[in-house]
Amino acid sequence: MKTFEYISPKSIEETTSLLAENGADARILAGGTDLLIELRKENAGAPKMVLDISYLKELKGITSTDGTISIKPLTTHTEVLHSSIINQHAVLLSSAASVIGSPQIRNRGTIGGNIMNAAACADTVPPLIALGAKITLKLRNNSRQLDLSDLFIKPYQTKAQPEELLTDVSFQNLPPGAKSSFIKLGRRNALAISRLSVAAILLQDKNGEIVDARIVPGSVLPTWKRVTEAEQLLIGQKPSKELFAAAGRKVSDVMISYTGRRWSTEYKEPVIAVLVKRALEKCI
Amino acid sequence: MIKMSSVTIHTMVNRRNYELSVSPNQTLLRFLREELGLTGTKCGCEIGECGACTVLIDGEAVNSCLVLLPQIDGKEILTVEGLALNGTLHPLQKSFMDNDAVHCGFCTPGMLMSAKALLDKNSNPDENEIRTAISGNLCRCTGYVQIVDAIKEAVK
Repeated sequence: MKTFEYISPKSIEETTSLLAENGADARILAGGTDLLIELRKENAGAPKMVLDISYLKELKGITSTDGTISIKPLTTHTEVLHSSIINQHAVLLSSAASVIGSPQIRNRGTIGGNIMNAAACADTVPPLIALGAKITLKLRNNSRQLDLSDLFIKPYQTKAQPEELLTDVSFQNLPPGAKSSFIKLGRRNALAISRLSVAAILLQDKNGEIVDARIVPGSVLPTWKRVTEAEQLLIGQKPSKELFAAAGRKVSDVMISYTGRRWSTEYKEPVIAVLVKRALEKCI
Repeated sequence: MIKMSSVTIHTMVNRRNYELSVSPNQTLLRFLREELGLTGTKCGCEIGECGACTVLIDGEAVNSCLVLLPQIDGKEILTVEGLALNGTLHPLQKSFMDNDAVHCGFCTPGMLMSAKALLDKNSNPDENEIRTAISGNLCRCTGYVQIVDAIKEAVK
């Protein structure tokens, strides 16, 4: 392994002050499932300093206050998938957490790491964006909040400064009666990196008409966002196979409008349409 | 603040206490194998894909290749060497032998530790729960059937 200075800060304040001093020379160690691989890569640069925040208890846990759920960044995927709060009010997020990596990875990997590493295949991000999640970034003693959907520039690149620390992820409960789903397509069931994924949320009124629809595909667009063009097709309509298939085709069209036709388009175009249709069917 | 080229850690490995001054630039896996001589934990892919290095930290199955050594400070580690007690094999170890669940044997320590983590939390898992629990452990010999059978039998 490469050599680096190891520091285990005792508080959030100590962490942010070390980050402010060292910026891009320092890397944050949380669950380690991505960073440890990087630290061992022979032909890549090494950080000067590793800040191990895994002992900071104030960055762990899930709480619910007046309809707002707050997940601290060191919460592991295993903790998310077993959380009664998440299973009751944001079940698509626990579905996503349950298919990340393997039990061993889920026991170590954290929701904060999944967000800040910003891999295109990060499974918790599409559900969080569908939920309208906001994140809090701390720079020295100042915090700023931004929409998670505004964080990403491109895969592995975010608008967060190297000096900023993620301290909170929060979102509103799903509205009562809303149904949600997360579908992931990997090359095999376990330990698979998402090739394509879809997070979906649907809310119907008492007549069965759709009044709220949110569709966020993963590994499809340059960065994650809701596909409002497809969502608009659903609003005011009653669910049907044809309607969901049309929404799926719309997501395909939007993908191609961003990426153009690539070698993988022949596969992705029909497959993402079917995944969207299936994700919506699971919301009925 | 800890800021030095070696760090002091307190840990318990297989029910034995250690206070150690160690280099932080190593994984738990390498430390177990090369410093403590516990070579039962296997070094396979070293990127968290194969599960051969699975150990328990405070009862949770983890890939020891993805744990930076100072992260075990204050924690309890259990490796395959700690399964047998007073010369008696753990029921899972006996069941793996009885069911021919060990072929080349390279995945076996990791499989045993993932199975142990499951049974400690769920004393009566169904086949689906067993298969999920070992989904992070690759076996290229058995096709998994004997391993699943062995875990089922150890439950009885």
